[in-house]
Amino acid sequence: MPPTPSDVLRGTLDLLILKTLALEPMHGWGISQRIEQVSRGVLDVNQGSLYPALQRLELKGWIDSEWRTSAHNRRAKYYRLTAQGRRALGAETDNWRRYVAVVEDILGTA
Amino acid sequence: MGTWRSVALRLRALFRRGATERELDDEIRLHLDLETERLRAQGVPSADARRRALLAFGGVEQVKEAHRDGRGVRWIEDAIADARFALRTLRHNPVLSGAAIITLALGIGANTAIFSAVNAVILRPLPFPHPERLVMLSEDNPEKGWHRETAAPANYLDWKERVRAFEDVAAYTPGGGATLAIRGTPRRARVRSVTGNYFAVLGVRPELGRPLEAGETWKGGTDVAVISHELWQDAFGADTAILGSTVPLDGTPTQIVGVMSRSFSFAADSVDVWRATGWDPQVRAQVFFRRAHYMRVVARLKPGATPEAADAEFQTVVRQLQVEYPATNKVMGADLVPLHEFLIGDVRRPLLILQAAVGLLLLIACGNVANLLLAQALGREREAALRLALGAGRARLARQAITESLTLSSLGGLTGLVLGWWGTRALAALQPGGMLPVASVRMDLRVLGAIFVLTTATGLLFGLAPLLWSTRRVPAEVLKEGDRAGTGQRLRRWADTLVVGEVALALVLTVGAGLLVRSFWRLEHVEPGLDARGVLAVGIDLPAGYDSAATQRAFFDGLRERVRALPGVADAAVAIVPPFGGVGYTSDFHVAGRPANDYGTEVGHDYVSMEYFRTLHVPLLAGRFFTVADRTGSVPVTIINAVLARKYFPGQDPVGRRITFDKFPDSTSVWRTIVGVVGDVRQTGLEIEPQIEAYEPLGQQVNSYMTLLVRAQGSIAALVPGVRSVVAQLDPSLALAQVQSLERLQARSIAGRRFIMTLLVAFAGTGVLLALVGVYGVMAQLSRRRTREMGIRRALGARASQLQWLVVRHGLQVVVTGLGLGLAGALLATRAIRVLLYEVPPRDPATFLTVPAALACTALIASWLPAVRASRAEPMEVLRAE
Repeated sequence: MPPTPSDVLRGTLDLLILKTLALEPMHGWGISQRIEQVSRGVLDVNQGSLYPALQRLELKGWIDSEWRTSAHNRRAKYYRLTAQGRRALGAETDNWRRYVAVVEDILGTA
Repeated sequence: MGTWRSVALRLRALFRRGATERELDDEIRLHLDLETERLRAQGVPSADARRRALLAFGGVEQVKEAHRDGRGVRWIEDAIADARFALRTLRHNPVLSGAAIITLALGIGANTAIFSAVNAVILRPLPFPHPERLVMLSEDNPEKGWHRETAAPANYLDWKERVRAFEDVAAYTPGGGATLAIRGTPRRARVRSVTGNYFAVLGVRPELGRPLEAGETWKGGTDVAVISHELWQDAFGADTAILGSTVPLDGTPTQIVGVMSRSFSFAADSVDVWRATGWDPQVRAQVFFRRAHYMRVVARLKPGATPEAADAEFQTVVRQLQVEYPATNKVMGADLVPLHEFLIGDVRRPLLILQAAVGLLLLIACGNVANLLLAQALGREREAALRLALGAGRARLARQAITESLTLSSLGGLTGLVLGWWGTRALAALQPGGMLPVASVRMDLRVLGAIFVLTTATGLLFGLAPLLWSTRRVPAEVLKEGDRAGTGQRLRRWADTLVVGEVALALVLTVGAGLLVRSFWRLEHVEPGLDARGVLAVGIDLPAGYDSAATQRAFFDGLRERVRALPGVADAAVAIVPPFGGVGYTSDFHVAGRPANDYGTEVGHDYVSMEYFRTLHVPLLAGRFFTVADRTGSVPVTIINAVLARKYFPGQDPVGRRITFDKFPDSTSVWRTIVGVVGDVRQTGLEIEPQIEAYEPLGQQVNSYMTLLVRAQGSIAALVPGVRSVVAQLDPSLALAQVQSLERLQARSIAGRRFIMTLLVAFAGTGVLLALVGVYGVMAQLSRRRTREMGIRRALGARASQLQWLVVRHGLQVVVTGLGLGLAGALLATRAIRVLLYEVPPRDPATFLTVPAALACTALIASWLPAVRASRAEPMEVLRAE
């Protein structure tokens, strides 16, 4: 079954979160800012949808969270990648590349 | 690792719901704050910045809701909310809820108690290591009609030595007692003679000292015994010094080598002393060792040996013995059966019948509760329709309904658990001694598990009816109807169906109970052949010192004489075994002048003193009773019972004929002249037809163990001290073996039946009561709904009786349908209880007519009562109430 657009989006969002967290632990708003910067606004996602995604990843055990005081002296929930998440990121990235390549191929031959 | 964390997160979400919510709030608030600050830093005005931050975030509530769903515990939260809601609903309707809970508790409680017994007796393995390897060996003799009888010791020894599939084989006497002298005080003890390997075969060890040893089967130095924990405590003050000490057991010095633990019980047999058989090796070759059958034999199979294979080998050995010892074993068969099966054989069927009965009872209870819920669902139908119309999922409503019935059933189950706990104890305490062949009946994990399953199943079962009914409803229709006429129609069909089922099940139960009551009535009115009222029976066992017939006879002569002189005593006699206690022993016999192959078997023997028949009011049918003249040296005589006279002397006068108790008479045979014929006595128990029996006079035959029978002029209890002191005067070392009223013995022979009947009657009564409540409830609903119609009809001039008939007629339809179905069910079901019936056919017409008739009458009253109330309503009030 081909993924529906929302599935593509959800998968993409998860991948972006993992990728972002691979650099350093971050809180929710920070992640949303980073994604927005790197995607240069192409991915128009509600900032709020980040939170169910974070929850999903945490239940999968790919990320972990803890409450910490931020640089501006605010208590924030920081997320960080787990070892399992790091492996998942690798696998998901490969999947994504394969997927893109196949779609490219199809689009190219058409 | 990941899964653990995920489980931890879920648990936290469930149990620290507040904290999880707060954290989510904090996280979102921080996000919005930071975003607002960022926008402000870019120059966006304060008020606008907040708005744009919210916009970029999307719906805060939706995110929170998505987060809550994402926790994966939503269904649990919903279930808790549903249960809370259900509890609130139940509280709003205390009468209805109370009725439902009590109904369920009765059903579940009864099931708990019976299942505890089924579990203890049928399901739980015997409390020995590898119980599946224990088998019971018994003798079968087709010629004598023996099945699973006690075996002759010599046969036991041959089985033990020759069958290789047996690891070891032990034997024990199934009953018996002896007088134990403890520091000079005589005390009666229940004694079993067991072979030395008895405990080893069962795989148990004493808590103190040592078990008996295999070699102690045979005579060695001193006699040895192991005593029970109870005797050790009661008689020896739990003194460990008794180990190795010697006490006189029936006058024989016996060394106590061990104390069994309290928990040891073999087939719920109460034993104080296990005495090693200590057989003299010389007896093995003697014929009586193979002729007298008095040992129960239990074998342990070798690991890996199946009972079937062992039986095949066993049968080969049995056939060898038939050839080797034709005089005793020519037709002697034998039987091997797993020990558990042997022990539970008699109670298995009654227990399963009781279990089925309580199952039916629970179904009736479910029907009632379903009806209550149905009535409640009707009251809330508009609410449900409204919720459906407003978009609530049918699945959600169904779940709510199921949660409600499960909550109800849980409350019923908990209450039932308490009832069941009490019922289990009552059952264990009230069962006639030894009926349930286990040491204890109690609730265990399996019983609790069964209750849980039962409770859930009932919740689903009675929740189903209202559910099916309510989810089929189209909301628009319900809301449009407004008036309840249309819904009433549909509801009634469901309710009627349930009540029809209840009545049918109640009838099945009641017919079953009715048949048992009839059987029991028949048994109670059976002619026992004597008058047991006011007769005291006391067992007296003379110790080893009384070693000749003369001394034994002298003792019993003196005893009778002195007891008869006691105030309040009308008469006194002795016999080996009292009536209802079985016979002393059985033997073959031959009538003088008949061909050699015309012998009889299985004639019961009892030695009785000359006053025996007079004391018990056994009628003399021909000839004479025994007299003082019938003594050693005079002509050997016997008195036979009417069955024997009818069977072996049809159309002849047996008086004066001679009989010998040998199969093939020879020169050593003692020929006894029949001097009288007496009426038949149910010697073995009320339910067992009198068997052929012969009596011999105490003057010519005597036994060391005899039963004193005393007929009282007034109360028998008042006689006991007198009898006791007479015995003590004659011999202070004697203890009374058994002191019982003959009437009790008579009742005890049918106590098991009485117990099962009482239980079944109680269950059937409860079932009928519940079914009647069901009928009443449905008719009350119907009447209420037709109150308005009745008011109008009354206003138009209808008579109250006509209006009542409207309801009663409907009740009649329901009840008659239920009875019809029930009759069909009962016709099938009662075949299963045939074994419990006594001289009543499973399709006894009287029961099959009276029980439904009685049930119909009471059911009609139950439907008539609400009708009366409805028809009496004042027309004006009813119409105004609309």
